Amino acid sequence: MELFDTATVLTRVLTSGVVMSIEKNDRELPGLERLLTKRSGRAHAVLVNSRSAAVHSALAGQGIGHGDTVHRPGLDAKDTAFLAWLGVRAVEEDPGAPACAFDHIALDAHTAHRLPELAAGSTAPALVVDLTPLGFGPAAAVLTDDPAIRSRAERLKIFGAHDLRTMWTQEEDAADLVPGVQFNYRLSPLVAACVRMALSQAVRPLTSTGAAQ
Amino acid sequence: MITDFPKSPLPLPDPAELSGELAAFGGGSIIPKELRRTVFPVITKEDVFTLMLAQRQTPEKVVADFAESYRATVGANFALPTASGTSSLHLALVGAGVRPGDEVIVPAFTFIATAQAVVAAHAVPVFVDIDPRTYCMDPAAAAAAVTERTRAIMPVHVHGLPADVPALRALADRHGIALVEDASHAHSASIGGQVAGSFGDAAGQSLMADKNFPLGGEGGIAFFRTEEAHRRAADYVREHGIDYEMSWVAAAFGSGQLARLPYYDAVRARNAELLGKALDETGLFAPPHVPEGHVHAYNMYRIGLRPERVGLEDLPVWAVKEAVHELLVAEGVPAREWQNTPIPCHLPFRHRDGFGGGHPFTLNPSAVRDHRPGDFPVTVGMLESTLVLCRELRAPVEYERALRYADAFRKVAARPDAIRKLVADGDYRRPYEKAARLG
Ligand SMILES: Cc1ncc(COP(=O)(O)O)c(C=O)c1O
Repeated sequence: MELFDTATVLTRVLTSGVVMSIEKNDRELPGLERLLTKRSGRAHAVLVNSRSAAVHSALAGQGIGHGDTVHRPGLDAKDTAFLAWLGVRAVEEDPGAPACAFDHIALDAHTAHRLPELAAGSTAPALVVDLTPLGFGPAAAVLTDDPAIRSRAERLKIFGAHDLRTMWTQEEDAADLVPGVQFNYRLSPLVAACVRMALSQAVRPLTSTGAAQ
Repeated sequence: MITDFPKSPLPLPDPAELSGELAAFGGGSIIPKELRRTVFPVITKEDVFTLMLAQRQTPEKVVADFAESYRATVGANFALPTASGTSSLHLALVGAGVRPGDEVIVPAFTFIATAQAVVAAHAVPVFVDIDPRTYCMDPAAAAAAVTERTRAIMPVHVHGLPADVPALRALADRHGIALVEDASHAHSASIGGQVAGSFGDAAGQSLMADKNFPLGGEGGIAFFRTEEAHRRAADYVREHGIDYEMSWVAAAFGSGQLARLPYYDAVRARNAELLGKALDETGLFAPPHVPEGHVHAYNMYRIGLRPERVGLEDLPVWAVKEAVHELLVAEGVPAREWQNTPIPCHLPFRHRDGFGGGHPFTLNPSAVRDHRPGDFPVTVGMLESTLVLCRELRAPVEYERALRYADAFRKVAARPDAIRKLVADGDYRRPYEKAARLG
């Protein structure tokens, strides 16, 4: 993304005055969620503040936690360490498990336009999309068709509260969706706005006018 | 263009409005509906410019420069910028030497993140009651909770008032355990000139955009007394593959804001003093208590109720509180409860599933308790008898707005008859009998 575009996006959000992720009037986070679901064909996108947060959300979303074993071949050392920290063991082969627990892709300026095709190739119930390489700081998303995964992942990132309407109460009737350990995995609207612009530009080939050439 | 610039200014206060009918009963409100918005954080051209310049630097340098300038401001020895306040608390605990299964003493009254950060460190939070005047951890209650497995005491500088650090430091030293601060409400708060975040062996602090010192969205920072503690925290995230880094976008915004933090602190202090004087004169309302030598940061402003001063001592105080709450909101002062239930009675600490299967609570079964609100009588008493202003005083509001807040409290305090009528007609419940609220 050109510096001018980043500057424009940042200035636009600053001018709106809404930079808080839990602000009712924020439009940047829902905007990025919509773009991700549209491009990937998944029903839900859960935005988080890092790659490991997305991995945690993908697992917790499926009710996978400490003491569980998952089928997830090909994890690198960093992810294996993170799963161990969560108390989750990853095995290469699991005849009992049809799909792996989550797939994972990373998007940068050169691969961002491939999201539809990469998402189509994923069969796991949760797809972790690392948006950090786009260059606006740690950012990631979990894409899924499963409303329960979305629900649990949303609650994990904001202390059990589901969304802005039920915000700040941990409803008893949804107790099985409320995670035990809870984090602040919320993404900043300013970061989301930049990511959205970068992804939007990724579909059309960049046409430069004048000065930049 | 979507902007937060106000549409029109607030009219100056008018003494005639004070004797008008209460807004809840059909009178005019002290702050008209269309003028109630409080802008926070204040974003200036300097913030925009700082962000533009940051694009030309490496992300690592933007974040490191921010962390270094704020560390120097606080006067802490070492700093680690993070993605959130919660992650900063997690790393503060780790740096201070908290290990899986250890006990960490936390107050029953705080934001839930304080206790969840202990769980994140695979340790077990042990909850204790608060002091009735400061609302911060009661050192005597903390002393009574120390066991052989206690590794740290984690006071919270609640609402921006530093906890009783000298007493807690002495307690920690007596037992050879760590003092870890949750300074999330207490940017620029101090005791004897020393700033919150620099008192403990380690500290965590939220810098999310609704805190006194806001970054661009979400952020936090951990402070450490020793290089060893700093290294332990830095090694921990690497070893466990945890991504806790701060975004350069959030950091650059913070660098712009940091230059104006003393200005906003001064406006908060000015407005808190103005309102405090007015509240005290009403009889019904009591301003926050600030011990000698402590500087309160007023991230939140908790107001006490003294029903006996206006002849309402026969009514349950929580019912008086709810009635007053309704009357204030109708006048245009959006007071809040900010919590209604002790943290140990929230779902995650009643079910104690943790990371799954009860981990880490199962590592130390003797440290866990099935708590009821009555186990924390001071916390419950405070929740039943106080109301909170948040953004209304956190934002550097104009003088005329602060004056109008004072007028709203005066107007309500002058009408014990209205409070009595609402209590008689209303179906009010104790705060913790309602669904537990996070904030
Ligand atoms: C006392 C206290 N501790 C910790 C936190 C957690 O900070 P964050 O939301 O930045 O993770 C907060 C606020 O949000 C808080 O009020």
